[in-house]
Order: sequence, then C-alpha cells, then structure tokens
Amino acid sequence: MENLMFLAPEIAVAATGLIILLIGVFMSPRTKNVLGYLATLGVLAALVLTVRSFGTEATMFSGTVSIDALSQFFKLVFLTVSLIVSLASIKYTENSDHTEEFYTLVLFATLGMMVVASSNDFILLFCAFELASFATYALAGFEKQNPGSLEGAMKYFMIGAVSSALMLFGISFVYGATGTTSIPMIAENISLLAESPIGIVAVVLLIAGFGFKMALVPFHMWAPDAYQGSPSVVSSLLSAGSKKMGFVAAFRVFILALAALQPDWQFAFTILAVVTMTFGNVVAVSQTSVKRMLAYSSLAQAGYIAMAFAVMTPMALTGGIFYTLAHAFMKGGAFIAAAAVVWMITTQRTGDLQVPDHLDNFRGLGKRMPLAALCMTVFVFALAGIPLTSGFMAKVVLFSSAVQAGMTWLAVIAILNSALSLFYYARLVRYMYFLPPEGKKIGLPFPYAAALLLATAGVLVMGLWPEPFLQWAMEAAKVLI
Amino acid sequence: MLPVASLLILVPLIFAAVTFFTKTKEQAAGLAFLGSLATLGLTLYAYLNFDSNTAAMQFFESIEWIPLLGAKYSVGIDGVSMPLILLNAIVIPFLILYSWKEEREAPNRFYGLILTMQAAVIGVFVALDFMVFYIFWELTLIPLFFMVNIWGGEKRAHASYKFFIYTHVASLVMLLGIFGLFYASWQQTGVPTFDIRELVGQFQFLGSGLLRNAIFLSIIFGFLAKLPVFPFHSWLPDAYTEAPTAGSVLFILLKIGGYGLFRISLPMLPNTGNPELMITVLGLLGAFSIVYGALVALRQKDLKRMIAYSSLSHMGYVLLGSAGFVALSVSGAMFQQFSHGLIMSIMFMSAGAIQTGTGTRIINNLGGLAKKMPMLAVLMMVGFMASLGLPGLTGFIAEFLVLAFSYVNLPGFVLLALLAIVITAGYHLWAMQRAMFGVYNEKLGDVRDINSLQVFSMAVIALLVIYFGWNPNPVLNMMITNSEAIVSLVAALGV
Repeated sequence: MENLMFLAPEIAVAATGLIILLIGVFMSPRTKNVLGYLATLGVLAALVLTVRSFGTEATMFSGTVSIDALSQFFKLVFLTVSLIVSLASIKYTENSDHTEEFYTLVLFATLGMMVVASSNDFILLFCAFELASFATYALAGFEKQNPGSLEGAMKYFMIGAVSSALMLFGISFVYGATGTTSIPMIAENISLLAESPIGIVAVVLLIAGFGFKMALVPFHMWAPDAYQGSPSVVSSLLSAGSKKMGFVAAFRVFILALAALQPDWQFAFTILAVVTMTFGNVVAVSQTSVKRMLAYSSLAQAGYIAMAFAVMTPMALTGGIFYTLAHAFMKGGAFIAAAAVVWMITTQRTGDLQVPDHLDNFRGLGKRMPLAALCMTVFVFALAGIPLTSGFMAKVVLFSSAVQAGMTWLAVIAILNSALSLFYYARLVRYMYFLPPEGKKIGLPFPYAAALLLATAGVLVMGLWPEPFLQWAMEAAKVLI
Repeated sequence: MLPVASLLILVPLIFAAVTFFTKTKEQAAGLAFLGSLATLGLTLYAYLNFDSNTAAMQFFESIEWIPLLGAKYSVGIDGVSMPLILLNAIVIPFLILYSWKEEREAPNRFYGLILTMQAAVIGVFVALDFMVFYIFWELTLIPLFFMVNIWGGEKRAHASYKFFIYTHVASLVMLLGIFGLFYASWQQTGVPTFDIRELVGQFQFLGSGLLRNAIFLSIIFGFLAKLPVFPFHSWLPDAYTEAPTAGSVLFILLKIGGYGLFRISLPMLPNTGNPELMITVLGLLGAFSIVYGALVALRQKDLKRMIAYSSLSHMGYVLLGSAGFVALSVSGAMFQQFSHGLIMSIMFMSAGAIQTGTGTRIINNLGGLAKKMPMLAVLMMVGFMASLGLPGLTGFIAEFLVLAFSYVNLPGFVLLALLAIVITAGYHLWAMQRAMFGVYNEKLGDVRDINSLQVFSMAVIALLVIYFGWNPNPVLNMMITNSEAIVSLVAALGV
C-alpha cells in the first residue's frame, strides 16, 4: 500500500476543489464569497504541507510519481501563485454566479501543475499537463461577455491543443525508440534514441510542445493575447503559474530523460533563450496596455529562465529554479495590481474603458490607490532586477552562472536586456507617481490588498534574505544533476 | 563604540522614509535638515575617533548574509572613505538650507530623495562586500534620476534617461567584471566570497593575464563612466545642466567613481597583464580630460554648462593622479575629490542663484551682477578662484600634488595637463568678468541678492575651502597613509 501522506498537498487541493464545486451549487450568489476564503485556506493548508514535506524523497505508484526536492520546490511555486490568485479573486468573483466554477478551475489547474512537478512518467506528465491546460483554457474565457477574453481564450485553446499534439507526438517517438514512458527507464535506454535520427525529431517536437507552455519565441503567439484578454487574476495564474509548469516538465524531460541528447537541445535552448528575451523586451517597450506589456515582459523573463538549459551548470540550474519562484511573486503580484486598476476603472467608470488596463489609467495611481501603486513599483523594479528584490538575486545567480561557465556573451546579452527592460518599467512608475491623477482616491478592497502585500513580502524577503530559498533551489538542482 | 558605519547608512535612510510622508514643505525641509545634522554628528563622531596613522579598516562590522554565495554584510571606514563621507555629511545640511526657501512641487519627495541619495552614497563608501557595494552603487541612480526627471530644466526627460541608461549600462559591465572576479577566485580558492579586500587580494593569483585584464577593464569601466572622464562623459553636461541646483550638487557629491578607483582598481592595477599599458592609457585619458574639459568649457555660453565641463576637467586630475601611482599623486587625486566636492557645490549654488535671480544662465545676457548681488559675487569669487587653482585654496593643493608627483612616472602627460592651467584660468576669469563685473545689464530688471540662508550655507562651504586650503592635514594625512599602503603593494612587487 502506498503511503498517501506524501501526496497530502495534492489531496488537500483536490478535496478543496471538489468541496467548493459541491457546496457552491447550494449557495446563493451573495454567500458564495465564502468559497474564495475556503479555496485560500485549502491552498494555504497545501502550502504548509508542502513546506513541511521538504527533504522527503519517495517514488510511488510503480515509479510514476516522484517526490523529491525538485517537485516540492515547484509545488511551492504553484501553490504560492495559487494562494495569491485565490486571495485576489475573492474580490473579482464577488456577486458572480459562477464563483464555484472559478475556484474549482483554479484549484484543478493548480493540482495539474503540482502533479506535473512530480511526474516521473510521460503518460502521467501528459495527463496532468492537460488537466492544468484545460482548466486554464476555461478560466481564460471566464468573462463570457468580453470579446477580448473570448478571443484570448480561443487562441490559447487552439494553440495549446496543437502544442499538446506535438508534445504527444514527440513522446510517441521517444516511446517508439526506447519502449518505455518512464523517465528513469528512458534515461537508461537512451542510447537507442540517441543513436537514431528519431532522437532529433523527438527533441524538436518536445521543445515545440513545451516551448508553447513556456511561451518561448517563436511559440509565444498566444501569450500576449491570452494574458491581455483573460481576467487579470487569471493572467496572473497563467504567467506566474502555468508557465512554470512548462519549465518543470522541461527540466524533468530534457535533463533527466534526454541527457544523452544534451548537445542538441542545449544548442536549441541557447538560441531560444536569446531570441525570447530580446524579442520580449523590445516589443514590451512599445506597449500601451499594461497587461500586454507584462505579457511581453513575461516572455523576456522566460527567456532568462531558459538560460538555465543553455548554461547547464549546477549554479545555472539553481539560478533558474530560484528564478521561477522569484518570478511567481513578482509577476503574479504585478498582474494582481493590474487587476486592482481594472477594477477601479470599471467601477468608477472614468478613464479609458475600452482598454481598462491602458497605461493612461495608471496616471497618478500613487495618489488614487497608494498601496497598489507602491506594490506595483516593487514588482516592476524586481522584474527589472533592481537590488534588494528577489529579481536582483535571481539575476545575480543566473547571469553570473553564465560568466562562470565561460558564456560571457550570453550574460552580456541578458544584462543588456535587463537594462533595456528598465525603460518600460520605469515608464510605468513615472505614470503612477509623476503624472497627475484622473479621479479621486479609492480604497483598495481587502482581497487585493492582502494578495498584493503577500506578493510584495515574498519579493522583498527573497531579495533581502535569499539564503533559505537558494538552499532549496540548490537541493532541487541536485535532483537534476 | 557605536556601529558608526551602519548608522551612517541607516540614519539618513530612516529620516528619508519619514520625510516622504510629510505634508508641508516646512516639515519636509525641517525633518531632512534634522536627518542630515544627525548624519553630520555621527560623521564627526567617527572622525574624532578615527586614527589617521593606520591604513587598516576601522569601525569594521560584518554579518553573514548569503553564506551560499559568500556574501556578507560588511562595512567599515578607512582613510579612503572617511574624507568622502565627511564631504557628504558636511555639504548636505547646507544644501538643504540653501534650497529652504525655493518653491517647488512635492517637497516631501524632493527632500526625501536628497537623504536617500546621502544614504546610498555613504553606503558605497563604507561597503566592503561587492554585493553590498553594488546594491548601494545602483541605489544612487534612483534619486538622481528622479531629481532630474521631476525638477529638472526643459530637457529633463532627455537628460535623465541619458544619464540613467549610460551609467546603468556601465554599472552592468562592472557587475560582469565582479562576477568574473568572484568565480575566478572561487575556482582558485574553492571558497566563494564577495569580500572586496579578499577578492582584490586574490586578483594577482588568477589564471591568465588576459583574464585579469578583462576583469580589471570591465570593473574600471564602471568607475570611469561614473567619474566621468573623456570619452565616457557625454551624460555629464546634460545631466549636470538640466538638474535643479540641489541635483547638480548631489551629482558633485557622487564621488563613487573615483572612490572605486582607489578602493578597487588601483590595488589591482599592478597585477594586470600589462600594468604599464594600463597606466599609460589611464594617464592619457586623465590628461586628455583635463585639457578637453577646459577647452570645451571655454566656449560654453551657458554658465552651468561651463561649470559642468570644468568639473570634467577636474575629474581628469583624479584619474591622472591615480595613474601617477606615487603615494603623493594618489593622495592628490583623493584630495582633489574632496576639494572638488566643496568647490563645485559653491559654483553650482552660484549658478542656481543667478538663474533664479535673473531667469537666465547665458553668460552674455548677464553683466554687472556684482552691483545687484554683492554677497553672491563674493562667495562665487571664492568658488571660482578655488576652481581655477589659486594658491591658498583647496583646489591648488590637490592639483599641485597631482601634477608635481605624477611627473615622476608620467612626465609627458603632466606637461600636456599643464597646458590646461592657462585655459582654466582663462575661462573662469572671463566668465566672472562677463557675468558679474562691468556695466550692469539693465535688461535684467531689478535683481535681488541671495537670501540669508543661502549666504550662510555658501559662506560655510567657502570658509571650508579656505580652511582646507591653508591646512589640508586634517584630511590629507589619512589620505597619505592610505595611498602609501596602496602604492607599497606595487613597490613590493617591483613594478
């Protein structure tokens, strides 16, 4: 009999999701607000269980599920994002008829991501991947009356479906050559794959499949539309959470299973990393919609994280894994701050209503919603890599690892990119603090405030005292090497 | 013993944070003034307990921060940093007094940023760990950027972004160099550390000459762009000119580029792959900046721009003295930093007063201002005379030390720099004559003299310029002690 206690966090999330779905049916829209708090509590419990399980190692269900430092670290990332998102959504879903569906989808998406982090088998990995993907497709189109939301969701769904197909196709090649779907078994029999031309085909297909989820250029086309169109709280989940699912899956598949093909995929990831970060930053400069700007900045950040595959030293992997958690706080928080502004614009009915997240609507935010503006400032400075924030620490470790590995040119490109990114982040800060406000001061609703403060605390703690997080990330990296 | 080094960062930072939340201008300025006085008090305490006869680190504190990367929070003060901390602590309170009566938007942010800047600059001076050093180094950018961007002149957006991007990119190059040093030393010793003194000491044992050259050049690039010297100076005239007066003075107090030279680059210099080539290049850049800055200053129409270029010329002395690499030339370079901070504060305050008084800074549109602004004329005269190097004032001592002792190693460049002395005297006197003396330009209308707070603050700085001009020992002694320590490394190596 398997010891199910190892899966306690997953069970907590799944149970909360099912309970919410069940009792939501019997509740009136007014009382459904409770569901948000319930979801938050469930995620919090799972988070505590995950942190307590740090250091345990186990494989379960005939070796298909692996509990190790890597899986637990990424579960921490997903649960953190989920916590921030559920907390902020309490306000977003207020008086909605579909609160229970919303939270169930968020929790199931989280569950899917958590299982991906633990998957040690291609079949389980794919199923969990799809669980998370389907839940997020529905979430992206949650605003049924909003054409932007529908367009984004449609695009996300279609491209996501194609990418799943490519991924599955790639998996079938790996299975065909090695005769197994288990990641450790594939690693043992990798010579069968590496010595045949099928190996390259499989690598290309898998990179394309995961590349869609990680939103690496040129597989990124869905991301800006989906992030901009989706409700901001969902964008937060997509960018800060489901993108990381692509990374953890790629870490497991490429580094653990396809280690023998490293020269091939390492080369591909080097190019993808450089192109993605440069494209993301350059395009972000000219955006006027803040969510779209954050979407492109999210591409750029994915480009930085992909450097871990390009450099492939223990330090680089530590940096990349640390970066995913850092990014979860800063990007998750930034989308929540955008959500607060969208809420302000739509309830006040002033400013640019067509594009509620337009840069102009952020004018004088420092006076209208001081807390939201302050937190947003922390997030964008962190994204730009300003010292004393999590973003700085992440970049220090990751970029410096490129120097260590003798890939100074890559570090130079990354650093120049970071310098460029400061331009559009600083512009947002200028709008918030140095342009006159276009409306009166508004109290920030508690759920948004709590989510923002939580994310800000994460950003600052990781920046000021990164030691424990680095330690965890290093443990996680040891699983890979 | 108080943990002075940490307090010198914390006190202005806390006062800055509180100042941001004040409502009126009086509260903001008053609180900022109190904060800067507290910092001055702490600095004097440190100065009085400071031993000038040792080059060792004093007031040393160290706490583990990120053991995994070998980063520590370690701070301390020695003879290289003490005079610069003193300079900052002295000028900032008077800067606040000077701008007390000016009307401006968002005074809470204005004064808050001044104190943030003070904390960041002192942070760079006391940091003994590269991580801490870099954090404060980057932190200095933010107040200056907003200073220019919000309260600057007409072309403030252009100037602020240019300054920001230019020096930010240079800092990133420096960061790459720091990474290189960090990992090369990690590989060498097997222990990661970001400790500045340890890494600088390890530098000589690292791999190939090429690697050492690359590390040295990328780190010094950050310093030279911040100093700045030709050809990395193009942000300087725009930023200095467009900044409000307080911003220009803050730029002047930003002595971190030169400080980096003394603290990090000079001890590394003899161990680079080609020390002689490096010295030649640095000396050439220094001497060329002296001449270039003076020549360009000569043909400026805008008074503030002229002062900005004269500042470039003065910074050339810092680099030339450092490249001279004799104890006294390096001390001269250090003293030049100190003296330049005091002198330029007076000059920018004068230029600011003229602009607010007359509404223009174009030298040819002024004339005979001494009749209407006698107090300003006297104080400005002290600043200009000190700036052109009149004996008896601080500028003379610094420039004399640099030129006389750089001659030992770099005679050709010193002769080149001597050319500039005539030009320097020329443009200072010419500008004074056109702006302040002669017939009063009636088009300017009725102009009032500077207010008593401005007189007081400029007079105190002017008196210090005179005092240190006659008796430089209070700061020069500790500079000489430390320069000897830096240069003795070279003697030991026989370079």
